[in-house]
Amino acid sequence: MKYRARLSGPAGERTVEVEVQLDPAGVVVTLDGRPARWDVVPTPGGGASLLSADGRQAEAVPGRTAEGAILVRVGAERVALELLDELTARAQAVAGTGAARGSGDVKAAIPGRVLRLLVAPGDEVRRGQPVVVLEAMKMENEVRAPRDGVVASVEVAAGQPVGAGQLLLRLEPVG
Amino acid sequence: MRVRLLIANRGEIAVRIARACRDLGISPVAVFSDADRAALHVRLSDHAVGIGPAPARESYLVPEKLIDAAKRTGASLVHPGFGFLAENAAFARAVRDAGLVWVGPDPESIAAMGSKTESRARMQAAGVPIVPGMTAPAKDPAEIAAFGREHGFPLLLKAAAGGGGKGMRVVRGEEEIPAAFERARSEARSFFADEAVYCELYVERPRHVEVQVLGDRTGRVVALGERECSLQRRHQKVLEECPSPVVTPELRARMEESAVAAARSVDYVSAGTVEFLLAPDGRFFFLEMNTRIQVEHPVTEMVYGVDLVAEMIRIARGEPMSVAARPEPRGHALECRIYAEDPAHGFAPSPGTIQRLRWPQGPGVRVDSGVEEGDVIPLDYDPMVAKVVTHGRDRDEALRRMRRALREARIDGIETSIPFFLSLLEDADVLSANVSTQFLESFTFEPPAPSADAEEIGLVAAAVAAARASLALRGASQPRPPSAWRTARPTYGHRE
Repeated sequence: MKYRARLSGPAGERTVEVEVQLDPAGVVVTLDGRPARWDVVPTPGGGASLLSADGRQAEAVPGRTAEGAILVRVGAERVALELLDELTARAQAVAGTGAARGSGDVKAAIPGRVLRLLVAPGDEVRRGQPVVVLEAMKMENEVRAPRDGVVASVEVAAGQPVGAGQLLLRLEPVG
Repeated sequence: MRVRLLIANRGEIAVRIARACRDLGISPVAVFSDADRAALHVRLSDHAVGIGPAPARESYLVPEKLIDAAKRTGASLVHPGFGFLAENAAFARAVRDAGLVWVGPDPESIAAMGSKTESRARMQAAGVPIVPGMTAPAKDPAEIAAFGREHGFPLLLKAAAGGGGKGMRVVRGEEEIPAAFERARSEARSFFADEAVYCELYVERPRHVEVQVLGDRTGRVVALGERECSLQRRHQKVLEECPSPVVTPELRARMEESAVAAARSVDYVSAGTVEFLLAPDGRFFFLEMNTRIQVEHPVTEMVYGVDLVAEMIRIARGEPMSVAARPEPRGHALECRIYAEDPAHGFAPSPGTIQRLRWPQGPGVRVDSGVEEGDVIPLDYDPMVAKVVTHGRDRDEALRRMRRALREARIDGIETSIPFFLSLLEDADVLSANVSTQFLESFTFEPPAPSADAEEIGLVAAAVAAARASLALRGASQPRPPSAWRTARPTYGHRE
C-alpha cells in the first residue's frame, strides 16, 4: 500500500513517499525509496512497539493534533503528520492543496461557559485579538480571532455553556 | 466500630488522605458529586456519600451536605484537604459545633490568617516582616490608585478571601487599575463568593520560599524546613522543591524562627505553611499563611521523613505529634504538578478520557494521583491530575530522576504539562536555580522538533497501522473497533 505523508514541524512541511508491504514474514516499509524491515507489535491502549532490523526499539502512541493531523508520540517526542492514501493524494494534487485556508468561524476549542463577549457585530478585529472570554476549569481563557476581519454575527450569549467546537462568532473579510 | 474519617474533598488529595487513614487504621469515608461517583477516591474508601451535582458550589462547597454525610456514616473526623472549604473558618466551626473533630487548625486560627489584611496586622505585631500593603479591602479603584501613588508600582491586586492565584492581577501603572479591579472582583466573586480585593506592593524578582510548620495541643510548634516554589505560571505553582537551593542554614534558621512566631501568634495547631517572598538581597517578607495541608507537601515528607497528613490526624485526635525534636533533612526532593492542559496550545484545558496510563516507578519516585486508566477528567474542577515527586541524595540526583520519571510516564487521551516540564528541566537557569517567581512569564515553551529517528518511527507506525486497518476492512465482514491510528476525524477525547 502506498501513502504520501506530510510531516509538519517547526522547520516547515516535508513530504515523504511511503510504501508498506505486509506479508507473513514481516513488514517492509519503504520511505522515499529506501526499504527497511520492521517488527510492529500492538501494545495495550492502541500503541505499538517498533523494532527495526538493526535492533532499535521505540514505543509509538497515536493521537491527534489540534488541527486534526496524526500526532505520534515516540517516547517523549512528538511527530505530527498527515497520511494520505494514493487516491486522496492525487485528488489534492489536482485541486491544489488548501491546507492554509483561513476560516472566518471562531469556535470554542474547549467546553466551558461564555464569561464575556469582547466584540459585537460590525466590529473590526485583528488576527490574535481576544474576542470572547470562556471560563473553563476554574480559569478565564481568552479566545482570539484567527484572522483579520469584521464580526458578521455573534452566535452565543454571555453566561451560556458551550461545547468543544461550538461556533462562537463569524468573521467576514474587511471591506 | 473502627474510627471513621470523612474526606471533604476529591481527586488526588482525597486519595492521599484515604492512604493516611489506612496507615493509621482509620476507615476513610468519601464524598462525591455526580461527576465523581466512581472516581478513584471513592473506590479506595469504605463508605461513600453522594452530595449532589457536579458544580462544586452545589456539592463540595456545601457545608451542610458534608456534615450530614459524616453523621450518616458515623464518621467522627473531617479532613478538608486543600481548596474547596479547607480554609473556611465557618465550615470548621460548623464541623466542631456538630460534635465532629476538624482535622486542621482551630477556626479562630483559620479566620485570623484567612483575612489577609488581618493576618498582616497580626504578623506586624508578632515581629514577622511584611510587604507594604493595604490593611483593609479596597472600596474602589481610586483607593488602589492612592496606594500606588504612595508606595509605587507595580502593585498586586488580590482577592481578600482568595488563594492559589485565583483573582490576582498585577497592575504596572495607574491607567491599568480600573480594568484590573473589575476583573479581580469578578474572579473573586465567582471563585470565592466574596468580591473583596486589596492590593500590596509587588516585590520584583522575588523567590517564593515557604516554611512547613506543625503544631499540636501540647503547645509544641516545629518548623520542617522550607520549600522553594518560585516556578509559577499565572501565580500557580508548577514545580516545587525541598530544600530551596539558595537558602543557607543561617537563613533557614531565621525563616523557621519567623514561621514559628507566625504560627504561635494565632495558637496554631495542625499542619500549616508560612509563605515568604525572598528578595534577591536576602530579605524575606511574610506573604500569607496557608492554614491547611498544601499541594506540595510531599517534597517535605520525602526530605524530612514525616507523614504530614497522618500527623494532622494524630494531632486532631489530641495526640502529640510523632516528630522528633529536630528532624534532620535528608537529600533533595522535587515535585511536578501534572495538569490536564496542552502546553503546545497556550496551556488550554484538556479534559477528556485517559485512554492509557502508565505512571513512573522505581527508586526515588512517588506519584500522588487521583486518576486511573479509563477515568474522565471532568471540566468542573481543578485540572491537576497528579503530582510526580522524586527524591535523591542531592538536587542533581532528584533532577535526573525527575527527567527519567516524566519520560517513563505515559498519559494518552488528554494533553498534559509533561512536555513542558521536560523542556523546563533542560533550562540552564532552572538547573542552576537562577529563577524568580517571574521566571515563567518569560519562559516560552516551544514543542521540541522531533529527531530524525523519531520521525522515522512515527512514519512507520502510522503507515503500518493504516495499511493493517485497510487490509482488515477489506477482509472483514464485521466492522472492527475504531483505531486511534485511523485517518478519519477524531472522536471527542482526542483534542479537536
